[in-house]
Order: sequence, then structure tokens, then C-alpha cells
Amino acid sequence: MRYLLLSSCFFILAGCSSVYKNLQPSVGDISNLEKFRPDFNRALYKTEVDVVGHHLSGLLLIKTLPDSSVRMVFSNEVGFKFFDFEFKPDGEFKAYYVVKQMDKGPVIKTLKKDFELIMLRKKDIQVATVRQDDHNVYYIIKRPKGFFCYITDKAGTELERLEIASPRKPIVEAIMKNHINGIPDTIGITHKNFSFTIGLKRIDR
Amino acid sequence: MRKTILYIALIAIFSHTVKAQTTGYTLVPDQAKFTEQFAAVAKKTETIKSDFVQDKNLSMLSDKITSKGKFWFKKENLLRMEYDKPFEYLMILNKDNLYIKDGKKESRVSVKSNKIFQQINKIIVGCVQGAVFNNPDFKMKAFENKGTYLVELQPVAKTLKDFFKDIDITVDKKDYSVTTIVMYENSGDNTTLHFINRELNNPLPDALFTIK
Repeated sequence: MRYLLLSSCFFILAGCSSVYKNLQPSVGDISNLEKFRPDFNRALYKTEVDVVGHHLSGLLLIKTLPDSSVRMVFSNEVGFKFFDFEFKPDGEFKAYYVVKQMDKGPVIKTLKKDFELIMLRKKDIQVATVRQDDHNVYYIIKRPKGFFCYITDKAGTELERLEIASPRKPIVEAIMKNHINGIPDTIGITHKNFSFTIGLKRIDR
Repeated sequence: MRKTILYIALIAIFSHTVKAQTTGYTLVPDQAKFTEQFAAVAKKTETIKSDFVQDKNLSMLSDKITSKGKFWFKKENLLRMEYDKPFEYLMILNKDNLYIKDGKKESRVSVKSNKIFQQINKIIVGCVQGAVFNNPDFKMKAFENKGTYLVELQPVAKTLKDFFKDIDITVDKKDYSVTTIVMYENSGDNTTLHFINRELNNPLPDALFTIK
């Protein structure tokens, strides 16, 4: 019985430990991250969204307006709009339109956070702390509940993945690859705590 | 002074009720006759084959997304829309069943279970068949100029009002075929479907609309 209690405590403690706890402080250069920041002057993506058994597809237009705010409009192939979001440079967010079926606080909050992760906004990057392990450099940006984490190779030449994390583990993992003129060709976002993925593939005009 | 304010108010109200898209058109004097004429021609239209250009106009972004493809319609309720630029997407509507091929992904759903496609069915098929002009879900007003009719449809049903402010359909006077459908959203954005290279009543094989 004593062994059972002891082993249970061990597993509970192991479960509580953070996957980030062994990272070492690093003197990595924050500006390394800048080159991965997407320059969404205007980009059109074929988009697939799978959420708990439901599939949505369509086109996502991402455009930077003259006041530097970034607008994202997602509509299906036939033209029906699902949402129209605005991300202001100061961090303010506005949902101009959300289709009734998606117009729920947690849905909008989740999408907002996912897109903020891939935007790598300047004001966020500037306050990043840098850590490392044997293989990667981790750029960590504190958020109200957890943090954003951008993981590059040791040389800082490749952005291997992006994460939204609780203090203990990643809850969203994303990739952003093949930048052409500053615009990523492929973006993938996967939620770890429920079945929700977003896939973006750039379509040239 | 009071009169001036009244004039300004009247001008403001009037300028909001006259829409830019009806400029150059006059109201068709006999609305019922127009509906009858259109319905009579639509009754004889067995098939339509056409190319289409779709523009999604985003007013606040001063931008538009253009896509192109082919369109087939066969009576009573068979529709095939095949987008080929800048992406590949196939939609077949066979009565109440909808088939979608999106890249390698295929899906089959009942139109009844999908509100958005219910509306697409109602509008696109309704427009090309003319049934939409007698649909009580819309309030209809027809205008005309030398070569075309412009039919303005205002949604009455709540579900449609959520999606559209109004829908404008341009009809060629020569053969009463639909040349353009513009769906205006409440936000100021709109989606325009231009039908070009239209062929009416050429035989179309049923296989085009078969859902496997």
C-alpha cells in the first residue's frame, strides 16, 4: 500500500512537471526572430479547418492596411463570409463579422490567439526571453495565461515550430514554412487539447 | 432655416434609397407581366452551360478575390459548379444531395443539413430557374434599361437577412438569361457571379451531375 501511494505521488508530480523546466538561459539574439515575422502585405490562402468532426474550407485573405493593422477575412469558395477580424498594431482586436454559427466567445478568443501566434508582432518579440537546450533555441513571450514560444534551430536559421503553452506544456503547435518575399507559403496550426486544426496553403493571385 | 434642414434631410434619405446599381434603369411598369414573361422563358430552359467569374469584393479592404470556373444547370434541380482558378473545387447539387470535391478531399452531405448550402441552392438555382422571383422569402422589384432587366431581391426571411442585404440579378432582354448575380452583405461586401459564354438548351449528360 505504501509503495502504491509513493508511486502514485511520483506519477502525479511527474505529470505536473513542465516540459520547459530543463531549458537553460541563453544569450540568443532576439532579432533572429524578426526574419520569420510574416510580411502579410497581401496574401491569399486556401484554407482548411477541421474542428471536432466538422470540416470547413475556403479562402483566407490577410492584408495589411495603411494604418498597419492586419485584416483577416475568411470566406468559403462560393463567397459566404465566415469571419472578418482586425488586429491593430497596438494589440487591439476587433471582430467585424462572425457568422452566427461561429459567433461564440471561446471560438473567437481561440482564433484570435492562434493568429496572434503566427503574426510574431514586433511589440511581442521585443520582450521575449531566450532559452536553449542541446538542439534548439526557445524565444519565450509571456502571456496572461502561459506563453508563446518560438523554437528555432541552434543556428537560428530555421523556425522549427511555434507554440502556445500553458506553464507546463504546449497546448497549440504551429508550423510556418517556405517564406517567399516574407510571406509564408504553408501555415499549420494544431490544438493539442481538442480536435482542432487549421491548414493554410498560399494561392498566388 | 427649418426648410433648409428639411431639404437636407430629404436629400439624405433619398440618396440612401436610390442605389448606385439602379442608376440608368427605370422601374418596369408592369411587374407581374415581367415575372410571367421570365417564368414562361425559364419554363422552356432545360439546360444552361456557362463559364463564370466570381468576384468577392471586400469594401473595407479595397480588395477583391477573383475565381473562375464552369457552370452547368439541368432541370429540375441539377447544378454543377467547377472552380478551376486560382484553386480547384467542385460542387455538385443533385436535388437534395450535395457533393464537394476540395483538392483530394470528398464530402457528401444532404443540403437540408447545411444552412449555407440551402441558401446557395435557393439563390443560384432559384435565379437561373426564375423561381426566386415568386419566392415569398424575397420582396422583388424589377428595373429595365435598353438591353437588360435588373431584378432587385430583398430578403424577407430572417435566415436570409442574416446573410444578405439584397441580391441583384441582371437578365439579358434577348433571351431572358441571367448574366450577373450580385449578393450584397450587410457589411458592404458583396459577391458577384458573372456568367459568360452562355449556352442554353444544349443537351447535357446526366453523368455531369451524378454523385458517386
